[in-house]
Amino acid sequence: MSSLIELDNIGKFYGNIIALQGVTTEVHAGEVTCVLGDNGAGKSTFIKILAGVHQHDEGEMKLDGESVKFNSPREALDRGVAAVYQDLAMVPLMSVWRNFFLGAEPTKGTWPLRWVDKAKAKSVAKAELAQMGIDIRDTEQPVGTLSGGERQSVAIARAVHFGAKVLILDEPTSALGVKQSGVVLKYTLAARDRGLGVIFITHNPHHAYPVGDRFMILNRGKSMGNFAKADLPRDELVRMMAGGAELDQLTHELESTAEGTDR
Amino acid sequence: MSDTPVAAAPVDVDDERLAYRGVFQRLLVRPEIGAIIGAAAIWAFFWAVATEFGKAGGILPVLAVASTLGIMAVAVSLLMIGGEFDLSSGAATGTLGIVTILLVKDVGELGGAGLSLFIAIPLSLVVALGLGWFNGTMVERTGLPSFIVTLATFFILRGFKLGFSKLIIDNITVGRIDEGHGYDFFVKIFGSTWVRNDHQFEARDAVYTIGILGGIAVLVVAVCELNYLRKERFNPAGLGIFLAGLAGIVAGIAVLHSTDGTGANAAAGVIMAASGIVAFIGLASWRYAPQALEAFSLPSGVPVKVAGGVGLVGAGLLSAWQLDVDSQESVLDLVSGFRWPLVVVGGAFAGFVAVARGVAKISGPDTAENAHGLFRVVTISIASAFSIYAFMFMTTEQGLRAILFGLLILAGFVVLGLASTGAGRTSSTAKSIVQMVIAVSLVALAFFIRGQSGTPKFRSEVFTIVLALAILMVGWALTSARFRTRSDIDGDADKLGSRLAIGGLVAVFVGLAIKLLFTTDAEIAAGIPRAQLRVEFLWFVGVTALATFVLGRTKFGSWIFAVGGNKDAARQIGVPAARTKTQLFMIVSVAAWLVGLLLAFRLNTLQSGTGNGLEFEYIIAAVVGGTFLTGGYGSAFGASIGAVIMAMSKQGIPASRWNSDWRFAFLGAILLAAVIANNFIRTKAEASR
Repeated sequence: MSSLIELDNIGKFYGNIIALQGVTTEVHAGEVTCVLGDNGAGKSTFIKILAGVHQHDEGEMKLDGESVKFNSPREALDRGVAAVYQDLAMVPLMSVWRNFFLGAEPTKGTWPLRWVDKAKAKSVAKAELAQMGIDIRDTEQPVGTLSGGERQSVAIARAVHFGAKVLILDEPTSALGVKQSGVVLKYTLAARDRGLGVIFITHNPHHAYPVGDRFMILNRGKSMGNFAKADLPRDELVRMMAGGAELDQLTHELESTAEGTDR
Repeated sequence: MSDTPVAAAPVDVDDERLAYRGVFQRLLVRPEIGAIIGAAAIWAFFWAVATEFGKAGGILPVLAVASTLGIMAVAVSLLMIGGEFDLSSGAATGTLGIVTILLVKDVGELGGAGLSLFIAIPLSLVVALGLGWFNGTMVERTGLPSFIVTLATFFILRGFKLGFSKLIIDNITVGRIDEGHGYDFFVKIFGSTWVRNDHQFEARDAVYTIGILGGIAVLVVAVCELNYLRKERFNPAGLGIFLAGLAGIVAGIAVLHSTDGTGANAAAGVIMAASGIVAFIGLASWRYAPQALEAFSLPSGVPVKVAGGVGLVGAGLLSAWQLDVDSQESVLDLVSGFRWPLVVVGGAFAGFVAVARGVAKISGPDTAENAHGLFRVVTISIASAFSIYAFMFMTTEQGLRAILFGLLILAGFVVLGLASTGAGRTSSTAKSIVQMVIAVSLVALAFFIRGQSGTPKFRSEVFTIVLALAILMVGWALTSARFRTRSDIDGDADKLGSRLAIGGLVAVFVGLAIKLLFTTDAEIAAGIPRAQLRVEFLWFVGVTALATFVLGRTKFGSWIFAVGGNKDAARQIGVPAARTKTQLFMIVSVAAWLVGLLLAFRLNTLQSGTGNGLEFEYIIAAVVGGTFLTGGYGSAFGASIGAVIMAMSKQGIPASRWNSDWRFAFLGAILLAAVIANNFIRTKAEASR
């Protein structure tokens, strides 16, 4: 299994604040890598570095074996790294098909008579959503009329359609109910099955465990280790997330070293 | 990796809340629909109170005022959809006009530039682009609200206009553009006029009638196409019936036009009505899938409501008739002591209850109910406007008569409407029967109006409209009882339906345009006032069409919606947000340049204060047209309708011989109503999670 992205001792500082330090992980095609952490653990910084919003200050990020540093979200997108943010995914008052193709509208005709090929855009959006198992009756309806889970799903389908190799999902389930979360998890797996490397960021171990193949836990800007699913029973993951006590942390750090994982 | 998941699953259970929305519900969430209803209502209002408003001499000046306002309103609406404001847009119109004139002049202390218009006009365009670029860049670079930045630009422009005018020609009146070289060429583009009285077209009324009737017929077909489920295989016999019905209508019109006798006219009317219904049924049985007849059942309460509604309508007609025939003083004497409090309290209470009920319906979860609720609020608002008008004449007997008649009739139709909704819950047959009762009541109302009123306005026009409504209602009731309403999206039918709808609208507008632009020998003999259409109107139509195309069909249009709706999301996905916004500011200043030239060529001299303070009118027009103040939603076409509404209120108040000081109160009321309607649409469109 080749790794799409390799992070080696990534660090990020805001002035004298250490937001992230010594984070090492790998993202594989066709696998879901879950990044878990409580508030302030450095999850957002982690995503922003991957998505090109911020640049890392130390360590190395490799995409397909080549060392990279993204200067803008657009650059990351062009290299196949797409981020789906919980609240920034969609423009609620715009129709589904416009959202789907936003920034990359298919056109026909030549300038100055170049217009958006609406029929094509609508049919492609519908077909692409259907491929992911999302049934939208009318792509003309505003995204705001979709449920929260469906919006996330449309954003995922969009990233997949535009050739993303790595899909970063930022807390996709945090604002959703149980059923809606299930919908999003289903599409996360659909994206994985299409061969994408998925990074699933959450603070909810119950959502992460069923979909994740690998887990990385962040705490106070530091990685608490990478685990394969086979090595990490669900209860253990829950305990690691829930346990705030210093002793617990220490124990787990010792355990992870003993088990010979990355750190 | 592995195979792709199942494609196109059967209808997902998560979609249960996303039921198919019928034609009317879908129309209701369009941003411009409120403006169109409002324009029709305001036009009807002024038409009823001011004689000029039904005639070309009254409409053409309204269009002239609407044109310059509308060009700016359309540009401003694009900017507002993009989430920004431009308070300098009003002052910019005057500034750019003055800049052009000053470039042309070769007198004054500083000598003046004395340029040819061929150079001055492109040069002022460059100034306009620079102005827009400055506004946009300042807003984007500083991150300050555009409100503040463009307020500053507004004052700067205001100062420049005054300062430069005085400096260069020592006068606050800047003219004249016709001194410029090349005036004869440019006056054709920016200042030509079409004088209606100079253009005769004897077949005008025939073309007008055919256009309007044909257009309406096509619109009816379009609505059917959008509403009913198609047959698997079309039934050619139905087509025959449809054509026979159409032929009957044409025959009716022919009879109507060839005779003058009352008997023949009535016969023609009956022929047309019957043929209309036949054509309607023919169309439906040709194309649409029938449904099994449902068992006829009425929920309890519906018969009582029907009886009550019919009773109220009857009482309304009877009371109006009685008041007219009997001695009028007796009724007035009866209430004269407490007339005012009675009317005020009663009217306010009735209005409050009605509106509150409508609003309660609107805020409910059901779309069909919402549509009814909105419809009710709209009808009630129109009725209230008429009542207020009648109220102003309360010192005369007609006032009391109108209020009593209006309230009873309105209450009657509301109760009948409730009965129809109630009947629809159990059986569509029962609903159709109630609709028939409504249609019969409408026919009675139509003939009553014809019989009772003295003015041709009511005798012919209102009569015709009410009667046509009744016929449509009968046809609709008959077909909706027998044919199945579509419950899903049908791409072909939707496409055909929307194309037919556009075709029908075009036919109606061509008919209206012909009527407006041409005159006949008979009219000239009767001595009609001189009316003209200025080239501004063509620019207005062109700008609206272009903006609508850009918004709906281009990348840039999508980006405008995106930067206004959720700027961060747009930027995240790769939309050049700052560039898009700067371009929007430039579009507004180019529109201001165009309007400045149009004003310069119309007036020949411009005051240094030209355009100051108009920026709020542009914003009001855009908001009335359905554009959100918060950005992300709206329509260029809506903004143009908003401009027409503003122009109607500007022209209509003096035309009604009211004190024009009231104009601003009127504008304020319209703005408030528009914002409330927009807010409602926004919650609908954004209904989430």
